[in-house]
Order: sequence, then C-alpha cells, then structure tokens
Amino acid sequence: MTGVSVRGLTKHYGRVTAVDDLAFEVPGGAVTGFLGPNGAGKTTTLRMLLGLVRPSAGEALIGGRRYAQLERPRTEVGAVLEATGFHPGRRGRDHLRILARGAGLPGRRVDEVLDRVELTAAADRRVGGYSLGMRQRLGLAAALLGDPGVLVLDEPANGLDPAGMAALRDLLRALAAEGRTILVSSHVLSEVAQTVDRVVIVSAGRLRFAGPVSELGERSVTVRTPQAADLASLLEARGGRVEATGESSLEVRGVDAEEIGRLAAQKGIALSSLSEGGTALEAAFLRLTAAPEEA
Amino acid sequence: MNTLIRTEFLKLRTVRSPWIILGAAPLLVAVGISGLVSSSGIDARNPAVKQSDALAHVGLASLVTLLFGIVAMAGEYRHRTITDTYLTTPARGRVVGAKLVLCAAAGAVSGLISAAIGLAAAAIWWSAKGFPFAWSDGEMWRTVGGGIAWQAAFAAIGVGVGALLRNLVGAIAGALAWIALVEGLVGQLVGNFARWLPFSAGQALGAGANSSQHLLPRWGGGVVLAVYAVAFAVAAMSVSVRRDVA
Repeated sequence: MTGVSVRGLTKHYGRVTAVDDLAFEVPGGAVTGFLGPNGAGKTTTLRMLLGLVRPSAGEALIGGRRYAQLERPRTEVGAVLEATGFHPGRRGRDHLRILARGAGLPGRRVDEVLDRVELTAAADRRVGGYSLGMRQRLGLAAALLGDPGVLVLDEPANGLDPAGMAALRDLLRALAAEGRTILVSSHVLSEVAQTVDRVVIVSAGRLRFAGPVSELGERSVTVRTPQAADLASLLEARGGRVEATGESSLEVRGVDAEEIGRLAAQKGIALSSLSEGGTALEAAFLRLTAAPEEA
Repeated sequence: MNTLIRTEFLKLRTVRSPWIILGAAPLLVAVGISGLVSSSGIDARNPAVKQSDALAHVGLASLVTLLFGIVAMAGEYRHRTITDTYLTTPARGRVVGAKLVLCAAAGAVSGLISAAIGLAAAAIWWSAKGFPFAWSDGEMWRTVGGGIAWQAAFAAIGVGVGALLRNLVGAIAGALAWIALVEGLVGQLVGNFARWLPFSAGQALGAGANSSQHLLPRWGGGVVLAVYAVAFAVAAMSVSVRRDVA
C-alpha cells in the first residue's frame, strides 16, 4: 500500500520558516493524524506534498514519487484542502464533471461519488446555495473521484456541527477499512483521537512526535459509581491503575471502558457514568505543542 | 492537450459569466454603430461616415474579450478552484496554454458574431438613410477582419494578465485603467512610440478609413499585437509554473 514520506522538508517565506527540516513517514493503509496548533506549518506541509507549494529544501513523496511525477494523480491521491473552492454559480455535479474530464475519468464516477457522500439530491443546484457541510462533502467527492489509495484531508472537521463531525468520523473509518492511506490534519486532538492509528505532531514547523497513538499517552476512563471502593479493588486486581478523583468517581488507566462495564455488571456494581476521557492524550499533546523551544 | 482544452471549455460552459460577457460584445457593436450613424448627420446628400468607420466598432469590442480572458484565468484564483485544477493537472504550463488557446478561439468567435451583427446593423442603417450598402467595400472587410483578430488577441492577452496578476478585481481594474487612461498618458511620454502600445496596435489592426490617429499600418498593428499576445503567454506560463499556489 502506498505510503507517504517526508524528508528534510523545509519552507521559508522571507525570513519566516514555516516548515523546518520536517521528516516523518505515513505508513500505507493506516489513518495518521497530522496534528499541531494553528500556524504550526501543517497546511504548508500538505501543500508541498501535493505539489502546490515548492519546498525550500527537502522533499515529500507519495509512494516514492513527487506529486508532479504521478502519472494520473487523481487516481493515486485525493485531497481536500481548506483553500479549495468552488465557483458559486456552478452546479455541484458540473464541478465534478470538470475534474473527471480533466483526469480522464469516466462520467459515471461523478454519480458514484455523489452517492457516496450523499449529495446526489443537491447535485444539480448551484454551489452558492450549499451549506458548509455540503461544500465539505463536495470536496470529499472530488477527492474520491479517482478512487485513490491515498487521501489527504486538511482540517476537515473545521466548521462542522456535531452531526457533521460524526458523519466525517464514520466516513474516515469506512475509507480506512477499504485499505486506504489517510493523512488527516487537525489542530484539535480530540477531533481525531478516536479515528487515527498514528499521529504526527508538529509545532512551529518542527516535528514533535511521530508514532502510534498508544505511545503518546495512555487513555484514561472516568467512572462514577456509588460503590467506588469495590470497583477500585476489582479493577486493581485486573491490573488497572485507579485514582479516586472524588467520593464516587474514579479515573482508571490500563483497563478500557468496555472491560470496566463488563466487570462491574458481573459483580453487580452499579455505574452512574462511564466515559472515555482523552485527558492523558490531551495533556501529552499540549505538552508537545506548547513552548516548542523548551519542550 | 485536447483533453485540457475540452476541460477548459466545460468550465466556461458551466457558469454564466462567460456567456454574459460574450453577449456584450455584439451588443456594444450594434449600439456603437447606431450611435455613430445617428449622431453624424448622415443623410442622402451627405455620406459623412464610411462603412469601414462603422465596422471599426467590431475591434473596439475587444475590451470585452480582454475581460473574458481575465475572468477565465483570474476567476480560478478568485474562487480558489485553481487548487483542484492543478491537483488534476500538475503541469501548470499546459493548463495556462489550454486556457490561452481556448480563450483566443472564443475571442475569434466573439469577433465573428460581432462582425455579423455589426454588418447587419450598418446595412440596416444605411438603407434607412437612403444609401446603398456596398458589400464589396474592401476597406470595410479589412477593418472587419482586423477587428476579429483584435478580439482574439485581446482575449489571449487577458489570460496572460489574469495569470500574472491573479487578483481578479485588480486585473480587471488594471486592464480598464490601462485602456481608459494609462496608455494615453504613457503615449504622451513616449511620443512617436505610442503607436507601438497594445491598444494603439489593436486600433491599427481594426480601425476604419477615417481614423485620424497616427497609427501603424494594419499589418504592422497585427504583428505588434501578436508579439504582445505571445509575450504575455510566455510570461504567464513561466510565472504560473514557478509560483506557489497558497
């Protein structure tokens, strides 16, 4: 499966260094989160990967080749970029027809991707009348036109409402399950934490971390129960590390929420709430991205 | 290249602005001819206006095709469709080349339609004023032919201007300012070289017999305008290949 590799990638804008000697690998067939605060150089990195911005040094390769060297780029890489736009007077279907024609793809692909992103009903309306979520879906449809093995998504969750966000997560999971390599950027870890296998974290243009999510920090589960002491000893017996955060609430590491629920049910312990918190992940993310010179 | 030109054609066909712009050219020609005839005091005893002067309006409508070319290119930056365009075709020079070819062709078609409408308008006015319309007037046909070429060349130059400036509003304002004011001011500075400037070269190509201006010969205007079009095309392609798309 096609992966992405970034080597020594650097971009200067005048005296500002937007991306500074960045190097990481995105393995094929996995979902990789590309994380960092706003202004960390994520968008510039993705635009260099896609051949839109010329690196000052280094290279970004897709399956070992630069974007410009891909013979039929739409069939290898699909991208949804923040700065991608649509002509407001053009119909959604026509936007896709133009891309399909330019890429030498058959016209039926337009109908297929419209169905996939559930935009068929609105396809013959002008894009000027689309909601933000519909534009996002049109962008995704464009990225999927050539059925590419690699998908690059720049801040796809921006501006989405909770329902749109849930739909996006479902779609990303489905696309990943089809064996695609997905690189998705975000400035909010929690948006992607449940969806990604690996993370690449950048701050101020430099790499802070690259690896599996599990290495970033352990996920914790918050449990509320009137029988806190009983549950704590039960979980500790199973190798969990339990911290009492209140009279009836526990923070648990090393045992996941599903397991906690199952164990409590077996022992007849009533739970008043059970939630997977990203606290540890979030803390690690903040530590990695704050004050990059000292971290 | 054929695929790219057809893709560009589909882009123009699927929005309304190109049609509106192209419809404006023949309309302006008809209005211009009507205004000239009705204001010149032409009547059965006083043939004050030559047929070629009426048909010189075909070339003047090249202002419209200049805007057409600018909108076709800079409009992609305005609506940020340029990202998807270059993701589909990373060879940017070929994209700009396809736009140049297509817009020059669209300019020529606009010129042909403008010529047909202009000839019809002139013939109607002439017969209304009691003059026979001389279809064999060679000067008139050279003016018409020059006007069509002027429209085609300005459409291509418009693509070049749009690719170099990228800002749609700025490019349109700049182009209009050049034609309305700047070329005249520069012309005064450079004296006799003024006739080598783009709009003057276009006028040499498409002006009628009565033009009082000091212009290049018709063929010379054509050559100079072609050189401008090629220069803008080369600059547009090389700059588009190098610049970042952000």
